[in-house]
Amino acid sequence: MTPAGTAESIRPRISFYRDQGRYRGILSWVLTSDHKRIGILYFIFVIAFFFSGVILGFFMRLEMIAPGGAIMKPQTYNALFTLHGIIMIFLVVIPAIPTIFGNFFLPIQIGARDVAFPRINLLSWWLYISGAAIIALSVFTGEGPPDTGWTFYTPYSLRTTVNVPLAVFGLFILGMSSILTGVNFVTTTHRLRAPGMTWKRLPLFVWAIYSTSWVQILATPVIGITLALIMIERFFGVGVFDPAKGGDPILYQHMFWIYSHPATYIMILPAMGIVSDIVPVFARKKIFGYMAIAVSGVAIAAVGSLVWGHHMFVSGQSDFAALLFSLLTFLVAVPSAIKVFNWVATLHKGSIVLEPPLLFCLAFIFLFSIGGLTGLIQGALASNVHLHDTYWIPGHFHYIIFGGMGFGLFAAFHYWFPKMFGRMYNRKMAVWAWGIMLVGFNVFYFSMLLLGWGGMPRRYYDYLPQFRALHLTATFGSWILIAGLMLMFTNLFRGLLKGEKAGDNPWGGATLEWQIPSPPPTENFEEIPVIRHGPYDFEEIRENG
Amino acid sequence: MKPVEEIRKTRYQTYALVWVVLIILTGITLSAAGRELGGWTVLIALVIAGTKSGLVLNYFMHLRSERLTVFKIIIPLVLAVFLVFILLTFSDLAFRGGVK
Amino acid sequence: MALMILRRFGKMDDAKELVAGEVGDATGARLGMWLFILSELLLFGGLFILYSAYRYKNPVDFHHASRELDVILGTLNTIILLTSSLSMVSSISALQRGDRKLSMVLLMTTIALGILFLINKGLEWGTKIEHGIYPNAPALLARAKGEILFYGLYYVMTGLHGLHVLVGVCVLLVMLLFVSKGKIRSTHFTPLENSGLYWHLVDVIWIFLYPLFYLIS
Repeated sequence: MTPAGTAESIRPRISFYRDQGRYRGILSWVLTSDHKRIGILYFIFVIAFFFSGVILGFFMRLEMIAPGGAIMKPQTYNALFTLHGIIMIFLVVIPAIPTIFGNFFLPIQIGARDVAFPRINLLSWWLYISGAAIIALSVFTGEGPPDTGWTFYTPYSLRTTVNVPLAVFGLFILGMSSILTGVNFVTTTHRLRAPGMTWKRLPLFVWAIYSTSWVQILATPVIGITLALIMIERFFGVGVFDPAKGGDPILYQHMFWIYSHPATYIMILPAMGIVSDIVPVFARKKIFGYMAIAVSGVAIAAVGSLVWGHHMFVSGQSDFAALLFSLLTFLVAVPSAIKVFNWVATLHKGSIVLEPPLLFCLAFIFLFSIGGLTGLIQGALASNVHLHDTYWIPGHFHYIIFGGMGFGLFAAFHYWFPKMFGRMYNRKMAVWAWGIMLVGFNVFYFSMLLLGWGGMPRRYYDYLPQFRALHLTATFGSWILIAGLMLMFTNLFRGLLKGEKAGDNPWGGATLEWQIPSPPPTENFEEIPVIRHGPYDFEEIRENG
Repeated sequence: MKPVEEIRKTRYQTYALVWVVLIILTGITLSAAGRELGGWTVLIALVIAGTKSGLVLNYFMHLRSERLTVFKIIIPLVLAVFLVFILLTFSDLAFRGGVK
Repeated sequence: MALMILRRFGKMDDAKELVAGEVGDATGARLGMWLFILSELLLFGGLFILYSAYRYKNPVDFHHASRELDVILGTLNTIILLTSSLSMVSSISALQRGDRKLSMVLLMTTIALGILFLINKGLEWGTKIEHGIYPNAPALLARAKGEILFYGLYYVMTGLHGLHVLVGVCVLLVMLLFVSKGKIRSTHFTPLENSGLYWHLVDVIWIFLYPLFYLIS
C-alpha cells in the first residue's frame, strides 16, 4: 500500500477536529458534511442513549430484586421495559456500529475522502436526533410513555391511551435515517473504492457494513409502513389490525417481525465485521477463509430475512408456517457458525497479542456462541412452547445483542480509539473493566436463562417465591456489570482527556486507516492510494508501539 | 474535472411507441376485468401490470441501458424479497386450518 | 425541503472542494436514487402484502366493494399518469439535446398532469366521503368486514400514493425553477433525471393499484 500522510510526510497534518469551513464551534459540527465528524456526533449521542438505557435497566432489576412491589407501580414497570427496549434497540444497538464506525471508517478503509452523499449523511444524523427527541417527548407529555413493550403488538397498542402514536412516529423518523444511511453506504462501496481496491481486497468490516446496509434498505420500509399503520389506525380507525373490523392481529406480528428479525442482523453483522478486522491484527495472521466470512455475511443477511415467524410460534399462525420458519431458523445458524470457526482458525497458531481489542473479541465469540446456541433451543418448536415469553428469551437475546454486539462495540471502541482521538487509554484498566463486565454479565444473564427454563414469565412485575434466589442473583450480576461498564467508560474518557498520544499505528494494523495520521486529517489521504494487495498483509507493517 | 454525464440517444419516437403500448395494455386489462375469468383474474391483471411496469422501468427509467451489475440486480432483488415476504406470510394465512 | 436547506449550508462548510461523489458522479447519484426507490417499493410492498392477505380472506366482499369505485375515473387517472411519464422522460431528453424551452414545456405538462391526477383523486374521495364511505364511518362499519377492509386499504394505499404524487409535483416545480435558471442544463441534468426516476416510481405504483382496486369485478 502506498503510505499516505505518514510520519515521514513533509506536509503538516491538520486533524479533522480543526474547524476549516465557513462555520466555527458547534455550528461547524452540526452542519458538517465530514463523515468523521458525523461519526463523532453519533458517538456522543449513542453513548448518551446507551447510558439512559442502562439506567432504565438498572431500575428494572432493582424492582425485580424481590417479589411484589418494591420501588414502583406495575404501570411504571411496563413503561420502563418498553422504553428500555425502544431506546436500546432503535437508538443504540441498531445504529451504533454503522453510524459511528461505519461513518468514520468505511470511506477511509476503501480509500475514499468521504461517503457518496455527505449532506444526506448529515440529514441522517438530524433525523436520528429528531426521532430521539420525539420519543423523549412521548415520555414526558400526555399520558406518558408507551406500555406495550417495544413490539407494540395490536390490538393493545391500538387501544392503550398512553403516547403510542408519538413514540411510533419517532421510530418512523428513525427508520428514515436508517434507510438513508444504508443507501449512502451501498453507493459509497460501489462507487468510491480507490484504484486497485477490488471487492476481494476490501476489509471484512466493509463487507459487513455493506451487507447490513442492504438489509437496512430492504427491511426498514416494512416496519415503516407498519408503524404508520398504527398511527393511521389510532387516528382513523381503518381496521387493518382490528379484529372487530376484520383485521388480523397476527398479520401485524408478521409485518412487525419481517423487519425486526432482519434488524437483529443489522445489529450483529457489523459487530462480526469488527471481530473479523481485529482478530487478524492481534493474531498477526491473515484471516482464515476471507471469502467464507464475506459471503457468510451476505448469507446471514439473506437467510436471516426468512425466519421472522420464529417469534410467533405460539401466536396462532399455522403449523405449516411454524415448521417452515423453524427449519429456516436452524439454517441461518450455519453461516454464523462458519464465522466463529474461521475466527478461531485464525487465532490458531497465530502470534497472539492479548490487548483489550482482542479480549473483547474473545468475549464476543464466547458470549455470541452461547446466545446462538440458546437460539437453536428456542428455535425448535416443542421447546419454544415452553420457553416463549419466559426469561429465557431476554436471556438469549442479551447474550446475542449485549454479549455479541455490545462487546463487539466495545472492541471497536478499544481498537479504533487511538485512531479517532490520537490518544491511548490505560490498557490495564481496560482489561480490569473487561473482566468485571464479563463476570457480571454471565452472573446476570445466565441467571435469566435459568429463570426462563424454570418458567419465569417475562414482562411480569411480580413473581412466585420459587424464583426469588435467581432474581436476586441476576440483580446482583447487573450491579457488577454496571460497575464494569462505569470503569470502562471512565477509562476511555480519561484516555480522551489525558491519555498518552498514540501513534498512527499502535496495533500494527494493515488496513488503510492505520496508514494515515491519528486523528486523520479532513481529507483522509493526501493522495488517494493505489491498492496492490489485501487488507491483512502484515509483513510490511512495522509496529509503532 | 467533472466526468461527462452520459446522454442517452433514445428518440422521442421510441418513448411515444412505449406510451402507445402502455395505453393498449391498459385497455386490455380493462376489458379483461369485465369478463368471467375465475381464478385467472388476479394472475392476468398482475401479468399485465408487471409488463407495463417493465416497460416503464426499462424504457422510461432507462434500466435497460444501465451497464453496471448492481443496476441489473436491483429489480430482481426487490421482487425476490417481496415474493419471499408474501409467500412466507401466506404459509401462515393459507394453512390456518391445517394442511389439507 | 430539509435537503435543500442543508444543500445551502453544507456546501459552504466543505473544506474539501471536489468530494468524489458529491459533484460529478452521475452514476453514483443515480444508484443512490434507485436504492431509495427500492425502499419506496417495499414501503408500498408492505401494504400490498396486507391487501393480498385480506383479499384472500374476503374475495366476495372485495369484489362487491370494488364495484362502487368509479372505473372511468380510475382509468382516466391511469392514462394521466402514463402520459405524464412520457412527458417527463421526453423533458429530460429535450434538455440533453439542449432544447431548454421544450424541456420546460414538457416538465410543465408533467406537473399539470400530476395536479390533474390529484384533483381527480380528491373528487373521488369527496364523493365517497359524501356517501358515508370513509374509515370508521357508521355506514361503512355496518357493512361486511371484507368491505370495511377494502375501503380501509383503498384510502390508505391511494392516500399514501397521492402523498407521493404531491411530493413529486413539488420536486418537479423546484426542478422547473432550476431548469429555467440554468442550474440544470444539458451538461448537468442528473437532478432532473433523478426526479424523473421518482416520478416514474409513482407511475409504477399506480399501475398496480389500478387493477387491484378498480378492476376486481
